[in-house]
Amino acid sequence: MGLDISQDAADREMLAGVARGDQRAFSQLYDRLSGPLYSLALRMLGDAAEAQDALQDVFLQLWRRAASYDVDQSSVFSWAMLMTRSRVIDRLRARGRRLRVVSSSTDDDATEAAMAHASTIESAADTADRNEEAVRVRSSVSKLPAEQREAIEMAFFNDLTHHEIAAALGQPLGTIKARIRRGLLKLRERATI
Amino acid sequence: MIPEPLQDQAALYALGLLEAEEIRGFEEAMHSSAELRVFVREMREASAALAQMAPPQAPPAELKQRVLREVALDKQNAGAKSTAPRVAWLPWAIAALFMAFCGILLVDRARLREQTADILSQVTFVTLGAPSPDQPTTAKATVVWNPGQQSGVITIDNMPPAGPGRDYQLWAVDANHKDPINAGVIRIDPNGVARVRFKPGQSATQIQAFAISLEREGGVPKREGPIVLIGKV
Repeated sequence: MGLDISQDAADREMLAGVARGDQRAFSQLYDRLSGPLYSLALRMLGDAAEAQDALQDVFLQLWRRAASYDVDQSSVFSWAMLMTRSRVIDRLRARGRRLRVVSSSTDDDATEAAMAHASTIESAADTADRNEEAVRVRSSVSKLPAEQREAIEMAFFNDLTHHEIAAALGQPLGTIKARIRRGLLKLRERATI
Repeated sequence: MIPEPLQDQAALYALGLLEAEEIRGFEEAMHSSAELRVFVREMREASAALAQMAPPQAPPAELKQRVLREVALDKQNAGAKSTAPRVAWLPWAIAALFMAFCGILLVDRARLREQTADILSQVTFVTLGAPSPDQPTTAKATVVWNPGQQSGVITIDNMPPAGPGRDYQLWAVDANHKDPINAGVIRIDPNGVARVRFKPGQSATQIQAFAISLEREGGVPKREGPIVLIGKV
């Protein structure tokens, strides 16, 4: 959604290079995707060091699995995003199992430190494109009815199943399923306008 | 035209919410319908776009070097596997070292397990976060829940004041109850901190999540206000 065709084609070309073992293509793909993927990992994990480890895992996975990418299933950008989300969810579940309690001050310190050392290698054009894309998505999501938005964000960012969302909001399961479907359909429609 | 129940499943599939058995059934349906496959792709694109709601952050520059080093090493190892002559005794030596290391770890693990068995069997830790990525909150909360005792402790930091005539209220989302179970009102101190021991109003045997909502002062028997923090068990 929101990705222009030329960008998607460029992403596919970079990924094809990665599948051939081209490290330069991999470096370019890193520059293109690392910002959005890191933002997602940091938002979901709330811990900069862990988000960096997750990002490293994701890029290693991209390197190893580039050849298995299927253009019929998703764009490169979405493939990488959903892969990141999946790795982050694995980490969140493992975190629960480890009984590790991270103090909020440590999280904040780590986040601030990471921001202080933020990468400067990304080009201004890339940043502008990405921001424009993000602004478009934010605008589409903000126009969704509140209950649809709530359901899809709880599912996407908080790793809650539709059963858990229904229980948390005190709503029938069918209602939550319909809200998720309608919300995603509206996002899809706005992407194609 | 794809029937609505199948569209529901496609949306849940794209978000990774289907159970293993449901996935099998749905993938069979996808296999026989090109229209459904296209629909799923669109649902996937819409789902992935949600990630852009996360506040933009750039990773530290040194991370790229770390990743590139890792990839170069991976490439080198892959090449070495196919071309390097093998030293016959080396795998055995590595295996022996590994076994010795595992032995040490097992002894250590058994000792640790003894020390922590009680805690592990008694409590669950849950981290709560904002339900929406653009909700401007730095608040963080951790619940330590003891199912045996049906009680827990919640620790909250950086929570903004509830505001006049309002209170924060804690809820336990339990699979055996239609509505979230009231776990009490939480009063935040002027520094945005709260440490509260709580006991849900009803028996909670299958808790799936904890949530905090913003309610009328004194709390309500059934949630009315918006959820401000939520965390999956």
